[in-house]
Amino acid sequence: MYGFEAMTFNIHGGYLEAIVRGYRSGLLTAADYNNLCQCETLEDIKMHLSATEYGPYLQNEPSPLHTTTIVEKCTLKLVDEYKHMLCQATEPLSTFLEYITYGHMIDNVVLIVTGTLHERDVQELLEKCHPLGMFESIASLAVAQNMRELYRLVLVDTPLAPYFSECITSEDLDDMNIEIMRNTLYKAYLEDFYQFCKKLGGATAEIMCDLLAFEADRRAVNITINSIGTELTRDDRRKLYSNFGLLYPYGHEELAVCEDFDQVRAVLEKYPPYQSIFSKLSYGESQMLDKAFYEEEVKRLCLAFEQQFHYAVFFAYIRLREQEIRNLMWVSECVAQNQKSRVHDSVVFIF
Amino acid sequence: MADDNACSLVQASATNGELEGEEQALLFLDSLDSYLMLLDSLSSSLRQGWLELASARHSMGPSRLSSTLLDLKVQSAATTVMLNELVEESQSVLQPQFTLSKWACLEERIFSPEVVDGSLLKDCNSTWLRHRRPKHVHDVTLESTAVDENVRALSLSKNSSTTSKSVDENKRRYKSLSVFGALVSPKLRAAQVSFETALETIVEIANMRSSILSSFSQLQKDNLDISRWKP
Repeated sequence: MYGFEAMTFNIHGGYLEAIVRGYRSGLLTAADYNNLCQCETLEDIKMHLSATEYGPYLQNEPSPLHTTTIVEKCTLKLVDEYKHMLCQATEPLSTFLEYITYGHMIDNVVLIVTGTLHERDVQELLEKCHPLGMFESIASLAVAQNMRELYRLVLVDTPLAPYFSECITSEDLDDMNIEIMRNTLYKAYLEDFYQFCKKLGGATAEIMCDLLAFEADRRAVNITINSIGTELTRDDRRKLYSNFGLLYPYGHEELAVCEDFDQVRAVLEKYPPYQSIFSKLSYGESQMLDKAFYEEEVKRLCLAFEQQFHYAVFFAYIRLREQEIRNLMWVSECVAQNQKSRVHDSVVFIF
Repeated sequence: MADDNACSLVQASATNGELEGEEQALLFLDSLDSYLMLLDSLSSSLRQGWLELASARHSMGPSRLSSTLLDLKVQSAATTVMLNELVEESQSVLQPQFTLSKWACLEERIFSPEVVDGSLLKDCNSTWLRHRRPKHVHDVTLESTAVDENVRALSLSKNSSTTSKSVDENKRRYKSLSVFGALVSPKLRAAQVSFETALETIVEIANMRSSILSSFSQLQKDNLDISRWKP
């Protein structure tokens, strides 16, 4: 048992917990996905979604629809819900909710910097940024030539500033340095979020630390697999892994030297929670690993709603919505490309 | 007698001409069949490629994989198509022949004079040597050694028949995806391979089409000759 959250939580967090549980009941079910999978065109998908909570966001979209339009409008719904919760939240819940968006902020920073390196127009890049990760001076990122300037001119006044201490160099921004910057920032962010949740204590700490540890482990596996065959050295790879999680530290040492997918499998199968994930995959098959990890994540996120009086429900809801948007994106792509037989390759049912 | 000989010669020529015509017709139909199979193969490769690209976008996220990240800087093409015109001896006609040169370094492929640029040459040579500026000189040696170790380990862990050329090709293949970040999903690499296969198929289709047109024109010419020989 935890502290006396049941006595005091509802004073400041009761309303928003009720709101988020109401939002959760609006998530699409397996029946909704089955209907969507029967659609022949994107217009059919729009018609089916008009009966859901996404209806108001898609109803005014002109034909022909594009898959990116569907994703953008569904994301707008998530953003509206998030902003409603954030403006009603008090401390420490407001800080907790802000932490959830720092990952998107990092992605947006990297998008702007990479696009600028490739001589793309800043307005074009800003349109592609995730709305949850926007901040005021984001457009100024385009003027920075190296990481030191990036920090000094723009990021020093953002919540990402504390995460830059390991990244600040005068080296020019190139593809590899940007990638290392992205992963280093994300590592620092995850560790900071982990410590914040630990300080909150109680059910929030218990559930969030488990969810963040899973996130850290999944990142480590993805970094390993994506870096196979690239010029990222083993030491650099090791430095990108977070300093917590089930795989820390011995799993990380073994992952750092993996050269192919089967070696990664051999490392992960030593850990019972991940053994079940890899048991679904045949040898050499890495294509379905993403889906296996998403399924495990959804299972853990749904379990967060089984308890009351903690903040993890907010994190879980936003992640479940993001998974739902990924599902809709995949279904739309399969329908648009006339490949409906492949729709179940990547759809993860939530309920 | 002379008339009979002349008639038999004409008939023999006509028969020979007919046989050649039939042979040409068979070759034409074979080429046409291969052409249709290549079209089918192209369609299949493209469908596979587009689905894998969607899968990569699903895995990496739409912000990491979009057309807004494509590099607009002027750069030389890693893959080129060269056109040669072969003269068919039997037909005395020009038949265009397309050759695909994939992931070729500047030193290895033919380029037009205006492309010659020392910076491009240096770029090509140093493609695999890019690394972050180290604090100390000995770190350069260490990092290069580590990179070489990685590459060596990679090549050893693969099939032993992989040649160094294909390892270089793989390096350039991976490098071309760096517009989307240095660490991309294996699904994106699979999509790249599918589109590469599609490109090879397109060049084969172009060559096959050239061969079909050439066979067809020869067939028409033979038919004309046969009809002249017939009484």
